Amino acid sequence: MASVWLTGLALVLAGPVPALLARARWPRAVPRAAIVLWQAVAAAAVLAAVGSALAAPEALLRVLTHPRERTGFPLLIAVGVAAVLAGLIVVRLFGVLVLLAVRTRMRRARHRDMVDLLARAEQNDAVGSLRAGTVLRVLDGAVPFAYCVPGRVGREGRVVVTGATLDTLGPDELSAVIAHEQAHLDARHDLVREGFTALHKAFPVVARSREARDAVALLLEMLADDAGRRRHGDDAMAGALDAFASRGGEGTEHDDVLLRRDRIRAHVQGGRALSVGIYLAAVALVVVPTITIVIPWLTDALQGLRPL
Amino acid sequence: MSLGTLTCVALGELERAVMAQLWSADGPLTVRDVHDRLERELAYTTVMTVLGRLAKKGLVRQERDGKAYRYAAASSREQMAAEVMIDALGDVGEDRTAALVAFVDRVGPEEADALRRALDTPPQGMPRSPES
Ligand SMILES: [Zn+2]
Repeated sequence: MASVWLTGLALVLAGPVPALLARARWPRAVPRAAIVLWQAVAAAAVLAAVGSALAAPEALLRVLTHPRERTGFPLLIAVGVAAVLAGLIVVRLFGVLVLLAVRTRMRRARHRDMVDLLARAEQNDAVGSLRAGTVLRVLDGAVPFAYCVPGRVGREGRVVVTGATLDTLGPDELSAVIAHEQAHLDARHDLVREGFTALHKAFPVVARSREARDAVALLLEMLADDAGRRRHGDDAMAGALDAFASRGGEGTEHDDVLLRRDRIRAHVQGGRALSVGIYLAAVALVVVPTITIVIPWLTDALQGLRPL
Repeated sequence: MSLGTLTCVALGELERAVMAQLWSADGPLTVRDVHDRLERELAYTTVMTVLGRLAKKGLVRQERDGKAYRYAAASSREQMAAEVMIDALGDVGEDRTAALVAFVDRVGPEEADALRRALDTPPQGMPRSPES
């Protein structure tokens, strides 16, 4: 029975739940809580999938055989198949995660080296609002543009802007942009994003992992926007996004920038109650299935293993 | 001055200065060439160490020429600028998010193209590098 429940749960958490969550508007009001909820959905989906892989062979054995035959060799086979199925999911996910982490860090190291060499030396100290541990780099470029490159542990991250960014943005707007990038670096948003990227790479088709990855990416931008707003005001942050958007073309990324700008202008902000509710839901997503399905099944399965 | 006493910032600045010389040179340079071109008081071994570091990072090519090594930039300044931008903007397609490198706050692909073009052709009359 546990097997059916776990499979059902895994399917719901991999399909309709992310689809609904990606389309919902309320997460924009509480990006931090919404990101935690996304993480809980992903974790619960993976746990349920692993659980159903573990439980399915034993359940099949129960259906197909008489109780007296469920010992010895058939049970051993069932346990073996279960271990392989569950192992496939876990190894695939962690394999992808490790490979992605290694490649990402190599690319970042090279990117940091190149940015350091290309930066306009005289403007590296142009903006004084960076925290210790972060370096600002100004690149040549005619388009307003800003991003950050996370540093390795103990190394400095980079906030990179183009010369056009300095020319186009007002002082407050520039400070807001830098606060935004600094928020990405301080809170290690890249790790959150990496997790969802790995999930999508590991399971690109079965689950709605792409929606999850993109929705979380947008929520992380909103979270960083909120950091910029807190320090330099709504006008500065929205003005900067407006400047980025007005020099641009089409595409989803452009739409996302406009969405973020309008969100700030509309003062979308969620109440404490909504956040608390979401955090509780996130905890419940992981804890409730464990208590109601996995523990009874485990007790049951262990009893079955006892010699008759 | 020995390398051990240099701070990271100073080392970074040295790398930029050395790279600027390689970028502006017509062909590969020896450590002595680079040392002579740098208009500052630097130990020969410091220049050698900096070139070694850049080579290890894959930013500089090291070629054997008889007894000495000659060094050349692995790519031109413009090529490197383009690589940085493509890296930051991400490739268009499945893997396109800048998640691998960074969080990019910017706009659509046309702009990326414009940016790449802008970086490929630096404005006339501009120095090729801040140091020169
Ligand atoms: Zn951002």
